Amino acid sequence: MNEFLQQFLIESRELVEQAVDDLLALEKTPGDAERFDDAFRAFHTLKGGAGIVDFAAMQEALHCAEDALAASRAAARPVSPLDIGNCLMCLDQVVEWLDAIESTGDLPPDADARRVLARFASAAPEPSGPVDADASAAWLVPLRGAHPAAAAEAQTAVRYRPPADSFFRHQDPVARIAALPGLLALDIAPRAPWPALDELDPFACNLVITALCAATTADTAAALGDEVRHCDVETLATRTSAAAGHPLASRARELLEAQVALLAEAGAHEHGRIASAGLAAANVLRHIGNTTAADHVAAAAAASIAEGSLQRLREALATALGGAPSASAAEPASAQPRPGRTQTLRVTADRIDTLVRLTGELTVTKNAIGHAVKLAENDGSALAVTLKNGQAALARLVGELQRAVLGMRVLPLRTAFQRFPRLIREMSAELGKPVTLAFEGEDTEADKAIVEILVEPLVHVLRNAMDHGIEPAAARAAAGKPAVATILLRASREGEHVLIEITDDGGGIDIAKVREVAKERNVVSGETLAAMSDAEVADLIFAPGFSTAATVTELSGRGVGLDAVRTAINRLGGEVEASSVPGEGTTVRFTLPFSVLVTQVMTVQAAGQTFGLPLDAVVETIRVPEERIFPVGAAHAIVLRDRTIPLVRLAQVLAAGSNTRSGEAGPIVIARVDGDLGALQVDSVGERMEVMLKPLDGLLSGLPGIAGSTLLGDGSVLLILDLAELLR
Amino acid sequence: MTVSVTKDGAIELSGRCGVEDAEALQRRLLAAPRSTVEWNGCEHLHSAVIQVLLAGKPSIRDLPSNAFLRTHIAPLVRDWRGET
Repeated sequence: MNEFLQQFLIESRELVEQAVDDLLALEKTPGDAERFDDAFRAFHTLKGGAGIVDFAAMQEALHCAEDALAASRAAARPVSPLDIGNCLMCLDQVVEWLDAIESTGDLPPDADARRVLARFASAAPEPSGPVDADASAAWLVPLRGAHPAAAAEAQTAVRYRPPADSFFRHQDPVARIAALPGLLALDIAPRAPWPALDELDPFACNLVITALCAATTADTAAALGDEVRHCDVETLATRTSAAAGHPLASRARELLEAQVALLAEAGAHEHGRIASAGLAAANVLRHIGNTTAADHVAAAAAASIAEGSLQRLREALATALGGAPSASAAEPASAQPRPGRTQTLRVTADRIDTLVRLTGELTVTKNAIGHAVKLAENDGSALAVTLKNGQAALARLVGELQRAVLGMRVLPLRTAFQRFPRLIREMSAELGKPVTLAFEGEDTEADKAIVEILVEPLVHVLRNAMDHGIEPAAARAAAGKPAVATILLRASREGEHVLIEITDDGGGIDIAKVREVAKERNVVSGETLAAMSDAEVADLIFAPGFSTAATVTELSGRGVGLDAVRTAINRLGGEVEASSVPGEGTTVRFTLPFSVLVTQVMTVQAAGQTFGLPLDAVVETIRVPEERIFPVGAAHAIVLRDRTIPLVRLAQVLAAGSNTRSGEAGPIVIARVDGDLGALQVDSVGERMEVMLKPLDGLLSGLPGIAGSTLLGDGSVLLILDLAELLR
Repeated sequence: MTVSVTKDGAIELSGRCGVEDAEALQRRLLAAPRSTVEWNGCEHLHSAVIQVLLAGKPSIRDLPSNAFLRTHIAPLVRDWRGET
């Protein structure tokens, strides 16, 4: 994929995210002018981007959405939920296209905006509505009367009524209008009749400015910036032919002039340059609606290439530029950088990952030097002290580097959370359960890998809360609960862990029902079930094969239940638990490591090999005499402080058949997995160390019982065991 | 100082007239209500200054070279000329 398209992808995705955010905020507070402007700008910029890469379908779709927004602004009414839904649907389509571009590296050839257009067409107000601006606004009449020539050419009319405190807000309303693209005419009138000069407050704005512009409504609105909330922007009947004497918006003019400059430097046989100048110019003209000129330029470019002469294209560009008044000096306000945005450098995740990998290798090298220092010390070498000091400094620096690099991979959880308001909105509509989704601590940061993987488990839990947690409206009313349910997503950092809690104010987990279903579906045996506490029963909702949904709905209950959540979170080295108060709601809690990359491990030896165990899981290391290990069926168990703990002999599991047991029993590592204790007998226990865990890939990826690998100081490979799998 | 008085007693607006010039202009117009305003050298007029011109309706002579003021603002503020 070329860099241009790549940039387009990155920017478009950001803009889509922003627009979705703004639209959802608008749905909550439809009158929020700032959010409206932001959304409008996002759509506008997206459309512009699509125009630049020559993606007509996307342009068309976005244009439609932009029109719908512009119409609501022109009519001075808040955006309707229908419009918001349609705009969101339009963005969905855009994302689909972006995905297609990302996977194929090219624009989707069969992209079609018709689906989006149809949605907007069916939503359009009846023809007698405010679309016909000619009849609707009385202020247009005197404006047109005063400037008949301009009125014939104008596409857009603006009435700007700056509030009295405008001067204090550092606004210069007339200058704002002067900066409009394609300004044709303006009128200024007093808002309240002019007082005598000695009674005039020179610092209170008393102006109403009306103007006619040749630019489109969207461009005009964009140029008005935030002040658009004090404006009425009306679309005038568009002229049928824009070809002749169309005053170009300053931006378009600049772009065309740039193409002329490009040609001036080009040799007659530089086909590539001619073709790209022609294409760019044609796109610019098409973008401003001047298709006749665009076709003319495109034809001229083809002729120029065929004739090996620049003349034709030069002439065509001159015609397109000719006769237009000189470009307004002012840039549209939308081109100004958004205030409050910090300067950031855009670096692809790949590069950061390379840095992480290199840091990991540096850590390994550091460990290797540590190994060398030990050897030197044992030999009584004179260099040992020098080496040791050097190694200590290196260790400190590598540690700092590691923290800095891992810090780069950190993302606020908001990046995961921001997809949920949309999801909840849709589910809420589908299930007829009104819900507000609240966030807490969404600025909490976690490793990128975790934040990204987290989305899916969270979706599962949220779906579950919507489906099973929150009661139907009638039940809520009967219980005296507010009609609108609340789901709270709370994130926090606790030492090296990130906690995420999903709390709903629904009916809580129905323990009796869970018992019943677990029995029915044979999730656990009847005996075990009878002996389980309520908390243990509640935990069964995460068990494979469990689903309490009486009817399988569209949302949850697709066969993959909450057990998928537990599997995903465990894989990240985290834990999931649920707690619930009957009638008051359920809380699902994820405990996750802050970073997936640095893992504390304890090494153990078994069957002549060294393995690592995640230190997080290790509770204690004990020794028990062999006779206290008793067989349970084909397995073994020990009794520790009155609890029976299943025991796995690591050597036997790993190297079936080879019995390395010497007369003396090896130490036993007690580990906690999913809240249960398990015992692992090994030959000996080694040291603790911090390693960069690499997931196994290639042929080894399917290896059961192994979570990943890392390199040791002496260059050997250390396999990290997956305790959950071994002890299950 | 962008609001000053010329030798022949006219009020001269020159350069970029900012919001703070509105009050200065208003004071001069109140002190000498029949003054003529001279704006040849004016490059920019803040809305507040335009507002004083519209409210005070002084007679205004000549045209500034700035294109925007010339085409769009001059017709609005010079309309009052006929009254004097």
